[in-house]
Amino acid sequence: MSPRRANAPGRVDRSRSIRFSFDGKIYTGHPGDTLASALMTNGVTLFGRSFKYHRPRGVMTAGVDEPNALVTLIRGEIREPNLPTTLVEIYEGLEAVSQNRFPSLSFDVGAVNQLGGKLLGAGFYYKTFMGPVIGPLKGTRFWMFCEHFIRRAAGLGRAGTAKDTARYERMNAFCDVLVVGSGPAGLKAAREAAGDGGRVILLEMDSLLGGSARWSGGRIEGAEAAHWVDETVSGLRELPNVRTLTRTTAWGYYDGNTIAATERVADHKRDAAKGEPRQRHWVVRAKKVVLATGAFERPIVFPGNDRPGVMLASAAARYANDFGVLPGERIAVFANNDSAYANAALLRDAGATIVAIVDVRAAISDEARRLASQCGGDLLTGHAVVATEGGKGLTGFKVQKFDAATNSLSGDARVISADLLAVSGGWSPAIHLASQAGAGKAEWDATLQAFLPPKPAQDWTAVGTAAGDFSGGHGLDIAPAPVFEIKAAGKAFVDLQHDVTADDVRLAHREGFISVEHLKRYTTLGMATDQGKTSNVPGLAIMAEALGKPIPEVGTTRFRAPFSPVSIGAIGAERIGDLRPDRLTPMHDWHVEQGAKMYPAGLWHRPAIYGAPGETVEQAYIRETKATRSAAGIVDVSTLGKIMVQGPDAAEFLDRVYTNLFSTLPVNKARYGLMLREDGIAYDDGTTWRLAEHDFLMTTTTANAGKVMQNLEYFLDVYWPELKVTLTSVTDEWAGASIAGPRAREILAACVTGTAVDTETLPFMGIVRGEVAGVPVMICRLSFSGELAYEVYSGAGHGQQVWDALIEAGQPFGMVPYGLEALGTMRIEKGHVTGAEIDGRTTARDLYLDWMLSKKKPFIGAAMMDREGLVDENRIRLVGLVSLDGRPLNGGAHLVEHNDPAALRDSIGHITAVCFSPSLGKYIGLALVKGGKKRHGTRAYVSDPLRGRFGPVEIVSHHMFDPEGKRMHG
Amino acid sequence: MLITCPYCGPRDVIEFTYQGDANRTRPDPASTDQAAWNVYTYDRVNTLGDHAEYWQHSGGCRSHLKLVRSTLTHAISSTAFVRDHGEKKSASRRKPGAAT
Amino acid sequence: MVEQVSPLGPAWKSGRHNVTGTAPGVTLAETRPGSIVQVAAWPGEEKAVIDAVRAVTGLKLPDGAGGGIATEHKAAFGFAPGKFMVVTQVEGIEAELLKAIPNNVGTVTGLSHGRTALRVSGPKAEWVLGKLYAIDFALPAFPLHAGRSTMHHDVFTQIQRTGADQFDLYVFRSFARSFWTTLCHAAEEVGYEVR
Repeated sequence: MSPRRANAPGRVDRSRSIRFSFDGKIYTGHPGDTLASALMTNGVTLFGRSFKYHRPRGVMTAGVDEPNALVTLIRGEIREPNLPTTLVEIYEGLEAVSQNRFPSLSFDVGAVNQLGGKLLGAGFYYKTFMGPVIGPLKGTRFWMFCEHFIRRAAGLGRAGTAKDTARYERMNAFCDVLVVGSGPAGLKAAREAAGDGGRVILLEMDSLLGGSARWSGGRIEGAEAAHWVDETVSGLRELPNVRTLTRTTAWGYYDGNTIAATERVADHKRDAAKGEPRQRHWVVRAKKVVLATGAFERPIVFPGNDRPGVMLASAAARYANDFGVLPGERIAVFANNDSAYANAALLRDAGATIVAIVDVRAAISDEARRLASQCGGDLLTGHAVVATEGGKGLTGFKVQKFDAATNSLSGDARVISADLLAVSGGWSPAIHLASQAGAGKAEWDATLQAFLPPKPAQDWTAVGTAAGDFSGGHGLDIAPAPVFEIKAAGKAFVDLQHDVTADDVRLAHREGFISVEHLKRYTTLGMATDQGKTSNVPGLAIMAEALGKPIPEVGTTRFRAPFSPVSIGAIGAERIGDLRPDRLTPMHDWHVEQGAKMYPAGLWHRPAIYGAPGETVEQAYIRETKATRSAAGIVDVSTLGKIMVQGPDAAEFLDRVYTNLFSTLPVNKARYGLMLREDGIAYDDGTTWRLAEHDFLMTTTTANAGKVMQNLEYFLDVYWPELKVTLTSVTDEWAGASIAGPRAREILAACVTGTAVDTETLPFMGIVRGEVAGVPVMICRLSFSGELAYEVYSGAGHGQQVWDALIEAGQPFGMVPYGLEALGTMRIEKGHVTGAEIDGRTTARDLYLDWMLSKKKPFIGAAMMDREGLVDENRIRLVGLVSLDGRPLNGGAHLVEHNDPAALRDSIGHITAVCFSPSLGKYIGLALVKGGKKRHGTRAYVSDPLRGRFGPVEIVSHHMFDPEGKRMHG
Repeated sequence: MLITCPYCGPRDVIEFTYQGDANRTRPDPASTDQAAWNVYTYDRVNTLGDHAEYWQHSGGCRSHLKLVRSTLTHAISSTAFVRDHGEKKSASRRKPGAAT
Repeated sequence: MVEQVSPLGPAWKSGRHNVTGTAPGVTLAETRPGSIVQVAAWPGEEKAVIDAVRAVTGLKLPDGAGGGIATEHKAAFGFAPGKFMVVTQVEGIEAELLKAIPNNVGTVTGLSHGRTALRVSGPKAEWVLGKLYAIDFALPAFPLHAGRSTMHHDVFTQIQRTGADQFDLYVFRSFARSFWTTLCHAAEEVGYEVR
């Protein structure tokens, strides 16, 4: 049996053992142990090295406020740094390593920093590494150069680079009352709310409900506290309207009474069960929130207060009574309030020896005095600790006479030997969530010497110690003497995680950082992963003293989310890896089976090419383009945005939306349309088909489908509510296959039944209905490729059957499937614009689409499109390009007028799209060039110094292939 | 942030799309008053406090709403359909269960 | 009629998955209705449209936004002001609704191909759906047969509660496979059966 075991095991099940490792050494613990309690049971006192000075550090707290004992957990390839050992529950095979030490925890070369301690004060790095005024490392460059080494020396754990394979989930929850914290106040609030019949959610950070009432003795509602907790918890568990969540930290309070919390579902297990998330991100919307978040005990700042073996009194009592381990055998207490006496008694009851109680106050209550005599040991009132002794663990400390009224020491120092110093500097209500959802600032309570919750800005109430009500504990008056710091020689730490000393705070003040916000940033006080839970109030008090102002006038900073660190994975939840939504066309599987190289187009997946073995992308699209232009090709156009525009005012609506007229469009005909933005810039284009008098099928570009739909809905709702029009997204309703090429008509004739497809029945832009493979289809004759072409639409659920039939019908004619690359090639040859040219900067005139601007009616953008700057002839306008050096062009490259690769010249425009044109046998492109048409027949130069491309091009008309459109109208 | 859609009830802001300042008037479509179009297209008030704005419940019923939202606190003091759906008619009224 | 090809493809894996107890937490299915039709009423014509739906399908849409009605083979629910989904197992309801709703009353839009109907049922249905949607699935907040429009990230969804433990989801077809994969992933924790 370990000598450090307490009399009772508390929550720890000593009948079973768990093996784990810390810095490579194997230890044994038990179910119920945290890493802190298990290591403590094994006699470990040194847990890590400090941030800046590499001083040895031990465990200071028993919970989420821990600033010191942080470790990195290793699961296979995955490292998770900066976890407080006080929160990590051990599991079989757990592997933890200490942080911030080199080469090992007990021998750390960085500890030499302690010797230069005076040099490393607040702002040291900023001041020292400002760098010379001139030269290669001037100004911040020098800092950036040095930063690499400094960050290695000063810092926390190192994150791994392996991909996190754990599962994270989100849960959206709703309730009438959300209770945060399950101490007696929280349990009572939950019980009361449940009795009202509403839905109740109770969140508890710990693995067990009940808070300190489970182990700290006392009586509640006439029963023993621990017993009362058991009864109340089992009562709540039986209620169907109460959900209790343990291992769940509420860390954010957002608008709409929304609380964000992280449930550590499987962190305490070696392996999560199949399908079980490691962590679950709860988003709880509550009608009412009860904050029963408890209070944090504060340390006292004194020289050597960071030595392993200096611990908060309540934490020491909890280890002894809740985890069954004595954090020390010869324990001394240092306090400024009565609560430490109750904890001293708990420690004694658990088996420790209380060697002394040091109190800064000259007078204490009778009850405290009674507890002190019960504990035994010296009672030194009007004394203070001025130094600690020991190496990796405490061996003793020095006390001197102390006058709390003047904060002054007197007399000789006396040494007391002890292996644990349990400190209590008063209590701070945990007002973090309240502050996030508070109106105004936290309120200073002079009696408690602590901040109380601000007035609520949302529907919450604070109860119990979180509200400053400490009457439910031992009945002790916990009001402390206003002593936060004992000033004596040596480093006295305020923020132990960021190694900020009391002198650093005063230095910051002397250097002019007198606002709390500036103080925080300059000293980094309270900015570590523990967010200053133990350092906030002492830091403020020291600042207030330096300023000569009372604490409330110095103010506190508003707490921000998160209350404690949250893993990014939990917030990302299920939206990771392969679970990004993909949009697939009805023919997707066919494309993949045919070896198509799929290319993401927004969320859609579209074939780029159907590569034959050994073919390059360029070879494939050239082959596909040639086959289409000489025989026929088929392409999946299901991704085009499709919107049904229906109703008696549908035609009027389209007239207002498009630059050209649609009310004149006959039924069963389609028309190409262009939309502008209000400011007159081109917005989107596409064909719209009139299916019936009051029914139009609008198509948009794939990329803009959602945006156009929203824009149309906006105009309908906001500006034209009088129009009777229904807009419905039917992109997914229709599968679309476009057949293009000189043999296209023959192919359709071979497989379409129920209608003829000859020129008379189906003229250019005509629509017919028929069947393919027994499936109803709608066929519109329109062309994007410049070939004779047809779009065959069928219900999406029939898309594959129709596609198969078209493929089969096309076989004898040499039809090939083609992808986005060939589609792009053919449109570039034809000079058709897409999103690369309709780029949010070009006007209809820039694209030579002014023939589409109706003068007969107003439309969106009509009023603004004729502004001076938009009709300037010298704007960049659409042209074609032919590479004159036989080399490919680069999309995005600039064009210059001068043949001088060495000099950077003014751009006359840029390239928007490039390809090899099989029809012309040359590399070609589309570009936007100043003056546009005026430059046809002239020479310019591609200038792309980043990609090392310079060479001559000829500017030509953007209609580079079949400019008269004979093929498409044939 | 929660927005209470008059049809769907309170919903998370992720379901909504901000559709712009509602403190502007679109000139008559036939108007050629460039100054008026300019104000409508480009001028935005930058309110500190209550601000009228359009939001679309794009991830819900897709209605456009006109909200008055405090740019200081996110508090929404008024919410209404932009388009009159005949709110008094039963099929448009909010269901009781939605008011959670 | 030629049968529609399911968009779920290889993602649809029949049988039980990660079921540890005797029964799965949820059962997931693609219900493949014959007709999914959207009807919309012009302001003031809601009652006429509701009457037309009743005349064609026999379904009596109740009063109130998001109100709905469902039988074993048919369902209807409101999902937006003046807009309703009508779903039947038989095909061709669209043509009948077109006849019953002239264009001075409203519009009829066929979505039998464009929306994929998925059913989530079982004791853990609310729990699994709560992972994906930020709406309240509890019975008092989401009454029987009521409809809701909401979204899971980019996946717009209309949901009708067709039983105490049963929800019918209508998602855009192109997203269906991806969403189904997400749904199965979310259901793995409680064990699920695909039928």
